[in-house]
Amino acid sequence: MNGRLETATVPAGMTLLEFLRGRLCLVGTKEGCGIGECGACTVLLDGKPVTACLVLAVEADGGAVDTIEGEARDGELSALQKAFIEAGAIQCGFCTPGMIMSARGLLRRIPNPTDDEIVEAMAGNLCRCTGYEAILEAVRVAAQAKAVPHAGQMVAGQSAGGSGSQGGRLSSPRVPGEGGGRG
Amino acid sequence: MLGRFDYERPTNLAEAVRLFAETPSAAILAGGTDLLVELRSGRHAPRLLVDVKRVDGLRRLDVGPRGDLTIGAAVSLNELLEHAATRWSFPGLAQAAASIATYQLRNRATVTGNLCNASPAADLAPALLVLGAAVGVAGPRGARVIPVAEFFAGVKRTTLRRGEIATEVRIPAPEPELRSAFLKQQRLRGHDLAVANVAGALAPSTGTLRLAFGSCAPTPILLAPIETKGMSAVAVGAAAAAATLAAASPISDVRASAEYRRAVLPVLVRRVVAELLGGGAT
Repeated sequence: MNGRLETATVPAGMTLLEFLRGRLCLVGTKEGCGIGECGACTVLLDGKPVTACLVLAVEADGGAVDTIEGEARDGELSALQKAFIEAGAIQCGFCTPGMIMSARGLLRRIPNPTDDEIVEAMAGNLCRCTGYEAILEAVRVAAQAKAVPHAGQMVAGQSAGGSGSQGGRLSSPRVPGEGGGRG
Repeated sequence: MLGRFDYERPTNLAEAVRLFAETPSAAILAGGTDLLVELRSGRHAPRLLVDVKRVDGLRRLDVGPRGDLTIGAAVSLNELLEHAATRWSFPGLAQAAASIATYQLRNRATVTGNLCNASPAADLAPALLVLGAAVGVAGPRGARVIPVAEFFAGVKRTTLRRGEIATEVRIPAPEPELRSAFLKQQRLRGHDLAVANVAGALAPSTGTLRLAFGSCAPTPILLAPIETKGMSAVAVGAAAAAATLAAASPISDVRASAEYRRAVLPVLVRRVVAELLGGGAT
């Protein structure tokens, strides 16, 4: 759990989300819809973004779980968190932990994502304050700041203000069949 | 809490079959993206979940010597999509998988589970039907193989017998230069179940076209093969659209009216045919 070993006995019917919030008091992960539609409860399970409301706690046994609480290190926000602030990608903040964990999963998998890849990776996270453009920009900024995988120290002091300079990355060739037309 | 039930995580298939067959009310847990929603709503209240994700062999994703593909029951949609051979040989299947839900859910949802859930709108069903795929099954009376064309018994019902577990999806070696395609109509441009979906596969050497559609009948439906040699894409599209409508029996539901489905289905069919045969799309 965020790099620490946690041992617990849980009922089979407890979701990973309930375990995180109720047992470990890691309440950064939010419950929105509870049925995998909104993405607010996105965490990384073995490095991959999943909705914690649709995973049983027992299914995570022996696995590695990363939540928003693991982003900041030694009191310093991660480059991804800083990028969300710089880009103004936060309004009410409810969707933000899930957004950041989806972005974290993307940047671990693809350090320099195209815009289509960012959209596809973030499309499972809903924001009711309609801040999508700023959120996508935050992910671009974080990618440019080389926020991978935990780059708090790597980018310390580096300006994350690279907005507007990503125009050349929109059409890198990809394997055919990429679901880029969906959004 | 999603209810009161026991949870078992067997590591070999015989044990999984025994647990599943012995318990009167047991459910198989693979990705859980449909099952956990049903548990939460109370529509489904099993006494035991048998998690098959760590059963030996069910994570396999193997290409055979002639290009046939075996997809174990624990393989997620994203694992299928990240598999280069799949995207290269079966682009229609990749398009269908990529159209399902969100990236997070595709990390959990499995290929086999999409079939076992037996939704009339299952996007992988038409894509697998046109490839002649089959489901490998293990049960108390041994193993057998069910063609996907014989797998669906009705809305949310399969032809799996009591105690049987689907262990894999098998796609036969593709015919030379096989082309395939998938199209889906949704209410919105984003993540939604299909109002209608259509898959096609064309073997250029023989000119045989296979078409299947979903969300417009109680089960996904595979049409009889259509011979395209000597016909224009437009003529094939018209014939295929007529055959599709003759086989469809759509209902009105929360996603669309039956009338709308009857209107959009032939459009999707003509577009798939145009993509496979070339020529102008409608």
